[in-house]
Amino acid sequence: MLRTFLALWAGRLAAFICRLLQRGGTSLPGYLALKIDPYLMGRLASRYEKIIIVTGTNGKTTTTNLLASIFRAAGLKVVHNSEGANMPAGVTTALLARRGEIAVLEVDEGTLGLVTRQVKAHMVLITNLLRDQLDRYHELEQLAAAISRALAAIPAATLILNADDSLVTSLGRGREKVRYFGLARTPWSQETTSEVLEGHICPRCRRPLEFNYYHYSHLGDYFCPQCSYSRPPAEYEVRDLELNSGGARFDLVYPGGKLPLRSPMPGIYNVYNVLAAASAALQLKIDPATVGRVVASFLPGQGRAETFSLGNKHLTLMLVKNPTGLSIALKTLTAGRGKATYLLAINDLAADGRDVSWLWDADLSPLLQAPYHRIICAGLRAGDMAICLKYQGVKEANLKVIPDQEESVDFLLEEPVDEGLILCTYTNLALYRRILKARGAVSEVTPLPSLSGTP
Amino acid sequence: MKLRLCHLYPELLNLYGDRGNVLILCRRAEWRGIAVEVTRISLGDKLDPKAYDLFFLGGGPDQEQGVASADLLAKGPWLKEAVEAGAALLAICGGYQLLGEYYRTSTGETLPGVGLFAAYTEAGNKRLKGNIAIQVEELGTDWPVIGFENHGGRTFLQGTRPLGRVIYGDGNNGTDQTEGARYRNAIGTYLHGPLLSKNPHLADYLLRLALQRRYGEVELPPLDDSLELAVNEAVYRRFLPTKGKW
Repeated sequence: MLRTFLALWAGRLAAFICRLLQRGGTSLPGYLALKIDPYLMGRLASRYEKIIIVTGTNGKTTTTNLLASIFRAAGLKVVHNSEGANMPAGVTTALLARRGEIAVLEVDEGTLGLVTRQVKAHMVLITNLLRDQLDRYHELEQLAAAISRALAAIPAATLILNADDSLVTSLGRGREKVRYFGLARTPWSQETTSEVLEGHICPRCRRPLEFNYYHYSHLGDYFCPQCSYSRPPAEYEVRDLELNSGGARFDLVYPGGKLPLRSPMPGIYNVYNVLAAASAALQLKIDPATVGRVVASFLPGQGRAETFSLGNKHLTLMLVKNPTGLSIALKTLTAGRGKATYLLAINDLAADGRDVSWLWDADLSPLLQAPYHRIICAGLRAGDMAICLKYQGVKEANLKVIPDQEESVDFLLEEPVDEGLILCTYTNLALYRRILKARGAVSEVTPLPSLSGTP
Repeated sequence: MKLRLCHLYPELLNLYGDRGNVLILCRRAEWRGIAVEVTRISLGDKLDPKAYDLFFLGGGPDQEQGVASADLLAKGPWLKEAVEAGAALLAICGGYQLLGEYYRTSTGETLPGVGLFAAYTEAGNKRLKGNIAIQVEELGTDWPVIGFENHGGRTFLQGTRPLGRVIYGDGNNGTDQTEGARYRNAIGTYLHGPLLSKNPHLADYLLRLALQRRYGEVELPPLDDSLELAVNEAVYRRFLPTKGKW
């Protein structure tokens, strides 16, 4: 008990000091506390009435933040890790807050087992499983198997799963409480795909799956011609989707009702994020009107498509960390846009993934067809990005390789077009944000209120 | 002149951007006015050994590789016939392993391979991954071939010569300094993904091997490879250990 007490207060003291120093402090307090009491995460978690874990490859942070906002708007006391610190230390930091009614925890898909061994979650929401950091997670099927083992530790938890992702639905097999969310066919659904795919082997009989259509990547309406495995019916389904650069509008059909939703977040991946968070909220009997109100005003956090103004320049900063993320980011950013300068900043540090081969798995065609003024390649792997673009048909005169991040921004700012789109891997994101701020750029995103509620 | 390229199992064996190599080979041929015809051959398709000058086989996740390997065994004799007749071939990672004699899994099960390369692969307990540089003498240049490897299997050559000598990285098995395999004009390697992107010398070497089947010795006009070679050199130097194991 003394150990737990010490751990708790050491963590809280660290959180307090981090805030005094105005440092992020999203992992350090939890890290220290876990050093003193390795079981603290589980002890803290047991003080919450409900624990919801959000995991998957893409969309975790946005979904977590949106879900927490919905609960808060419904009058619940919520604790969550708002800034994507999703390893055990970050999860523990969030839980160090004073007792809450509900905890919404983003958990890294590769370390889920470390968390579920201690944290007896009531609900686990899985967004998708996409190709990401192959040097770290190895193959998706192996990752799915690891998640399945992690879920076995919490057999009573309700699973909220993406019906459109065959890898994710395979995690629901043999489970009692499973609810699926998904998208009905949209005007943007395609019968073929130019992306490199995974998740197209039948999880049951291991024959290739066939698809009636794809939404993006391997998400879509799949079926196995050999056995009866297919996309399960979605209890929470998006219908009549309208999507443009200003956001999305759709009906969410759920057991017992239909909720018209409007979101200012662009891109089909954000439709999934809204759907996932709304499904979890409705499943927990949150008032649909509250869900609709929060969704209508919710914008993603910093760096996840953050816009800045600087003089007459309009700059957008976006995180890209895997081939699907890059494909979708380019599709979203180029849609209906005039002449722009693009800056692709690729690093290969541990948090980015050491292997940059994934650049060749992305579908770059939206960029190649966009009216780009120039494409600047930056970061430690600027050259790899440039070669990829060269072979996709970008003329070398329109390509500029500037590995140094500061210099790349200065070059971008001197371009004769006003629109600048910066796509960064993980370790470049904070760096570019800092460089832009230092040049006087003003963020146009209202920052999210500090939601984690750490004391 | 025309290059006939056969891309085997493009939808199954496509881990790590392997398909980039097909694009690179096509572009480097087209930039020289050589027409290119790419045929995608997959499960159940017949393979005419005389129809192609160059075969490409990527790596895949375990499940996909399992599906492809059963089919590849059936196509094996055609593929061997093509290589014996002088066709060029590039096989990467999983594709390379499937072309060996067998793969012994961690449970001791032996999965048969095509037997094009006199080499066998055994499952290892730790994955060999990271940036790698090798020296390939046949390229006739001092430029190293560099790339990224990420494989659980250890491959041991049994008479087949290696593609190159490891400068840094692990290569076939992390112990004998060999990387890849060569048999006639066929190349197998663990350097995965867009291998040819930073190695234009290797790309052109493959193109020459492929074209000589129909056209005899072919001289390829030089291209401006300054970008590719600058990246080759930068990556090579960045990961070159100060105290190498060689």
